[in-house]
Amino acid sequence: MKFGGSSVASAERIKNVADRVKGNGKGHQVVVVCSAMGDVTDELLALCADASKGMEKPVEERLASIRETHLAALTATVSDKAVRRQVLGMLNVTLSQLEKLARGSTVLGELTPRSKDAILACGERLSNPIVMGALIERGMDAVYMTGGEAGIMTDDRFGDATPLMEVTKFQVKEKLAPLLAEGKTPVVTGYIGATQRGDITTLGRGGSDFTGTTIAAAIDADEVWIWSDVDGLMTADPRIVPDARVLREISYEEAGEMAVFGAKALHPRTLEPVAEKGIPVRFRNTFKPEDPGSLVKKNPRLYAKNVVKAVALVKEVAVITVAGASMVGKPGSAARIFEVMGRIGINVLMISQSVSESNISMVVARSSMEKGANALELALLGQGGYRHILTEDDVSAIAIVGGAMRTTMGVASTAFGAISAKRINIKMIASGSSNQNLSLIVAEKDAKDTVRAIHSAFKLDKLNSR
Amino acid sequence: MRLVLAGFGVVGQSFARLLMAQEKELAATYGLVPQVVGIMDSSGWLTDEHGIDLKKALRAKAETGGVASKAGGKEVPRRPTDVIRDLEAEVLIEATPTNFKTGEPGFSHMKAAFESKKHVVTCNKGPLAIAYYALHELARHNGVQLRFSGAVGGGTPVLDFGKTCSMGDKLTGIRGILNGTCNYILTKMEGEGLPFDDALDGAKKAGYAEADPSLDIDGYDSAVKLVITANHLLLSKAGIKDVKVKGIRGMSAKEVQKAKKDGKAVRLIASASRETGLTVAPTLIERDHPLCINGANNAVEFECEYSGPKVIIGKGAGGPETASSLLRDLLEIRGRINGPAEAIASYRMSGVGGG
Repeated sequence: MKFGGSSVASAERIKNVADRVKGNGKGHQVVVVCSAMGDVTDELLALCADASKGMEKPVEERLASIRETHLAALTATVSDKAVRRQVLGMLNVTLSQLEKLARGSTVLGELTPRSKDAILACGERLSNPIVMGALIERGMDAVYMTGGEAGIMTDDRFGDATPLMEVTKFQVKEKLAPLLAEGKTPVVTGYIGATQRGDITTLGRGGSDFTGTTIAAAIDADEVWIWSDVDGLMTADPRIVPDARVLREISYEEAGEMAVFGAKALHPRTLEPVAEKGIPVRFRNTFKPEDPGSLVKKNPRLYAKNVVKAVALVKEVAVITVAGASMVGKPGSAARIFEVMGRIGINVLMISQSVSESNISMVVARSSMEKGANALELALLGQGGYRHILTEDDVSAIAIVGGAMRTTMGVASTAFGAISAKRINIKMIASGSSNQNLSLIVAEKDAKDTVRAIHSAFKLDKLNSR
Repeated sequence: MRLVLAGFGVVGQSFARLLMAQEKELAATYGLVPQVVGIMDSSGWLTDEHGIDLKKALRAKAETGGVASKAGGKEVPRRPTDVIRDLEAEVLIEATPTNFKTGEPGFSHMKAAFESKKHVVTCNKGPLAIAYYALHELARHNGVQLRFSGAVGGGTPVLDFGKTCSMGDKLTGIRGILNGTCNYILTKMEGEGLPFDDALDGAKKAGYAEADPSLDIDGYDSAVKLVITANHLLLSKAGIKDVKVKGIRGMSAKEVQKAKKDGKAVRLIASASRETGLTVAPTLIERDHPLCINGANNAVEFECEYSGPKVIIGKGAGGPETASSLLRDLLEIRGRINGPAEAIASYRMSGVGGG
């Protein structure tokens, strides 16, 4: 079971987490993985920024606030004195390390990636012992450990480390299987691993979910439950489409596509370790213990008739178009364009070029549009085939996600029909060769209407009502 | 090339003797001048950055049972993994007693070696059977090599032969005799009409069986070797638990004799194929089949889709035999560091001239 930051944001919520572990986990062997409390990771990031600028006063204030938050949470969560003392011991070790790291960096006015990871990891190292305390108080035999102690070994890329999967699976199994067999409940920090030398690393965004699925793959878990404050994966963002539905079943590939397009609950690589072994992942709401949530699994049967499963809106994007008639039939034109984008570190979300080859359009995050267009201008204009560079920043990307879309007749026509019925113009189309996704670009002002039109055209609002 | 030798039992000592015996040949033909800078056994460590005098180390081992005490080097009272990590060397030779349950201490030794960018040569089956992919991942992550031809077949290059057979072809099945002790016992039962227990006693007296022979006769040694072979050659993700194992303990003499009368023989056959999975079991085979060998030997057949079956036969265990595998692996690594050596007489001299 993995619990996100909002699920452990306060003493009340931590108690609720402990109830979920004890109640919903009854009859199962459970490994618990938790994120840092609420916005503590953001606080630690701010602390890092302050420390690297040598700003002593804000650093001290943040340290005090972090200490205060966790000690208060402990007091309010755990009432048994002996247990509280045990947890307090753990918190003090981490807090004093955190203070040393932060002050050391402040004095130097410099923060290496390695020290930054050691600081960021403190959020999880402070929340998980409190959860452990709450579990012990409920009569469970809980044991706390960091991801590294549990056996998660990563490469040396601090800040965005990748586990050495085979080593990790071997070590985690060796470590956790005997504990589970003894009836213990391991409580493992999410988001954290360690290099082969034992230095703490962090797994980047979505790291805690990744910890959960990695551990699941290692111990051959029956299921992974990812608890948060939403009901599960949805057909659309309910703020845009009020009658969006929870997807009760969905495949790994579909969920993966949804993750790429910003499904809040999920990071793209989260499902990798479990998809290989076919371990199902259930997304559940901490406050609805009876609700089964969304199940991501191999070969889901439930919505066999629905080709399209979800519509996502990707906001804050922009289109850059490079045009020029002499690009036609000139090998290497596209390569030069993307080489420029790659060199300046801009991620290209979507690409489109017609057979006439007279222009190439690409979608990028809106914040990097100017930078990208400028670099293309400097590198390409005035040379040979490239004529002009056009930008559009009043656009949105829409992703239609579902299994076997490209090989099913009529998906595009249903979507385009619904969109044109609303008199909305489609500016750009790309169909991933993954067969799971059809992406469109429309004017930003039309984006929400487009999502709603597609959602109802594929009858997603009627899902689960049979 | 500087070596650390973890494990100084039968195989480790044989390896040291082989290095001494082949010294000139190694330098002249392969450009390999091995220097053992650390030896570990149950008594502790003997280290010498200038190279241990192997003759002295062997003598100390023979006289005192341990290498740490009296061989002229200095004792190191530290954790083996720390010593392996800190010693400056290119290769760890891992030949400690094997453990089929945890893979320790071999696994930790290799991990420490990889972390400090040392290549690993081993004949230690336990860690390979339990953590095959983990060990390879660690080697790759650190840009060093892991070689283990001595883990299966002793001195007979079963794994390398199988790899060569499978290149560009498709290996569809592997089956063979991977445990010489069992084969010795079965041969004795067959040839001399002995009951199982007497044949086992004979194997003990001849030095082929351990005082506790259960790993051999219950089939686990074969199973572990099969797992390593299948992982290496069929890329199966198998563990020891995935093998259906039946040993030869209590094998009936009658059955063995009946087989003999029918022109067949009972052999403990380990088999891996995509259809039947991994099995180890006493199996009837035709007397004239190439796998049907006698005595403490190994024989393995590789079935290839395009080029047909091939069999390799040789001694399956023993100190000098396994040591020769370790040396072979070491030479492979040496060759890859600088390209295969040209066959010219090249020596590294010490105490001569200025160098």
